[in-house]
Amino acid sequence: MRSLTLFTALLIPFGAYAQDRAPILMDVTETHILPRFAQLADATDTLATTVQADCEPQSDTLRAAYSAAFDSWISASHLRFGPTETDDRAFAMAFWPDTKGFTPKTLSRHIKDEDTAVESPAAYAETSIAGRGFLALERMLYDPAMAEQGNVAYRCALIRAIATDIDRNADAMNADWQSFAPNLTQPGDDSPYRSGDEAMQELYRALTTGLEFTADTRLGRPLGTFERPRPNRAEARRSKRSLRHVELSLIALSDMAARLSFDHPEIAADLDTAFAQAIDRAQSLDDPAFAKVDTPLGRIRVEALQQSIHKIREIASIELGPTLGISAGFNSLDGD
Amino acid sequence: MTKLFTAISALTLSIAGAAVADAPSKADILSTYANIAEAKFDDSLIAAKKLQAAVNALIADPSDATLNAARAAWVAARVPYQQTEVYRFGNAIVDDWEGKLNAWPLDEGLIDYVDASYGGPSDENEFAVLNVIANPSFELSGQTIDASDITPTLLSDTLHEADGIEANVATGYHAIEFLLWGQDLNGHEAGAGNRPYTDYVDGDGCTGGNCDRRAQYLSAATDLLISDLEWMTAQWAEGGDARAALAADETAGVSAILTGMGSLSYGEQAGERMRLGLMLNDPEEEHDCFADNTHNSHYYDGLGIQNVYLGSYTRIDGTPVSGASLSDLVVATDPSLDAEMKAKLASTMKALGNIKSTAEAGFAYDQMLERGNEGGEALIMGGVNGLIDQTKTIERIVTLLELDQIEFEGSDSLDNPDAVFH
Repeated sequence: MRSLTLFTALLIPFGAYAQDRAPILMDVTETHILPRFAQLADATDTLATTVQADCEPQSDTLRAAYSAAFDSWISASHLRFGPTETDDRAFAMAFWPDTKGFTPKTLSRHIKDEDTAVESPAAYAETSIAGRGFLALERMLYDPAMAEQGNVAYRCALIRAIATDIDRNADAMNADWQSFAPNLTQPGDDSPYRSGDEAMQELYRALTTGLEFTADTRLGRPLGTFERPRPNRAEARRSKRSLRHVELSLIALSDMAARLSFDHPEIAADLDTAFAQAIDRAQSLDDPAFAKVDTPLGRIRVEALQQSIHKIREIASIELGPTLGISAGFNSLDGD
Repeated sequence: MTKLFTAISALTLSIAGAAVADAPSKADILSTYANIAEAKFDDSLIAAKKLQAAVNALIADPSDATLNAARAAWVAARVPYQQTEVYRFGNAIVDDWEGKLNAWPLDEGLIDYVDASYGGPSDENEFAVLNVIANPSFELSGQTIDASDITPTLLSDTLHEADGIEANVATGYHAIEFLLWGQDLNGHEAGAGNRPYTDYVDGDGCTGGNCDRRAQYLSAATDLLISDLEWMTAQWAEGGDARAALAADETAGVSAILTGMGSLSYGEQAGERMRLGLMLNDPEEEHDCFADNTHNSHYYDGLGIQNVYLGSYTRIDGTPVSGASLSDLVVATDPSLDAEMKAKLASTMKALGNIKSTAEAGFAYDQMLERGNEGGEALIMGGVNGLIDQTKTIERIVTLLELDQIEFEGSDSLDNPDAVFH
């Protein structure tokens, strides 16, 4: 693959010409980014209100509000820059993968100490990100081991504190995105993006990083190796949302890719076909938490899904990036 | 359209060509880069041999004095090694190898006794409390392992990454660190691990049990560190594979320098190593947690990034190594961008220096991580923000030098290019 990319680099006069970035920057910002954060703020508001009336982990109403809010986050979580990154907000919404089991440890410690941070949203926001966000709430709602710890009143206070914190966080992102948006649509000396190219690079990076995360982390972690599959490492497996996250992220990324490739109909069509295949494979998979990756047939299907995402990545890096004259630069998944 | 683009592109290139008349050649820049790598790895080897001598003295005659001397030698050995980390990302030969030396974080219960608060086997790792020092025989993936002799081969071929789990770190600096310091049980209070020298006393007076096996382990891990560093130093010598890989494609070689700088700055150091610990408020989530040496670990990582850009490194015996640099190349095309890069690297070093000097004055890195500790948070975020900010300028240099269609990838994809698209 590296040699292929290099080869492309020699053929294409990358970045040497100016493209008018303004229409695409405006479209992605106004039509893709801002509505997602508005939707997230709405859904988390419902969650925070619901949990005040009903903090019973098994409650259908609570679980439905949780699910809708988590859906909204997954559909926005690839936009992990600017106001989403400020104050560690993205991490605080969903701390995953949790390779050292920080989330259960942190929650158990809160329960054991009856940590009073649950009484104040400002204080809870200062606690470890591992005890905040949707995956901490998932443990409280779906993990039987959590339901056995401490007393019901404290657990209820903790559930409310986590939901309130999520809502607070979503509101802050939504508000800040409104004021941050001009930085993307009007890059220049007053913006962190010095040029339209730099703003475009940020958006393109969000697309490629989102694809990388879904393929290598959301699918790669439970797949493990053929000899040693790791179904227990699937994202949000306790609420059986693992596959759903793959599907939602692909739908969101597909929308973004279509907007980024708007001026290049052939590439847009290639991307659309590849996304349609991946989304179709996700939707026809009957394995919500990737529990079947340790069976030969189950594994083949998840691998096929993963390969269809690799295909999208290939089109993005070989066709879209060079044609737009931008590269993905560095992302947070660099490193080990 | 394409024709027009090509024409403009050719024009831009020819203008750039005129401007870079005084620029150093890529070959010269790569030669300096490789010379500095060779010097850094050789310095790491020299320092590791001093560590080995100190470890041998500790095992021969355990005392507070010999234990402290071994600890001091370990801290000194980290100074040149951390400066090599900028070579990881971008040079597959380094990245494929470094996990044997510097893997982190680790489930140290694999190696030796741990406190009850550490917990038992986890969802992620069945071997989190294997304790090979106490167990001459154990089951691993359905096989009985004979660990009656703790040898370098047992550590590198069987125990390291046992069960395919990265947290099973059996070799390298952090395994040795754990054997010299033990767990840091001070939480957010001051103080590092406090392993007594009596953990190495043979016979009566042995604490922690199995002192002979602990000494065997420490000795084997130190031997491995040396053989691994010898191998890497040879790769950077004249005629070595690491140099050959860079020379094979000079443009890709220059890109490798920038990839190393950017990936270490952003995803690795600013993200995984610094910001995550702060967000988790976890005192163990620091790079050199047993020794409380994290402030140095971060500082010398940052220094390595800076000296690679400037093409100038000072060896541990004071000898300078310098030559044509990436900075010279950028100056020839866009002096203001070079000034921006230098200023940002310097401001990162100032921020990392603030962490280091504050830690040395007694405010330990694990205290800085404590929930609600605003001074600590400001110090660490100063370093994180500097590293993120310098990554932006590294990207601008990539664009300036027209290296921007060469894929940047993290370590996983460098290990195994097929993992990206297969």
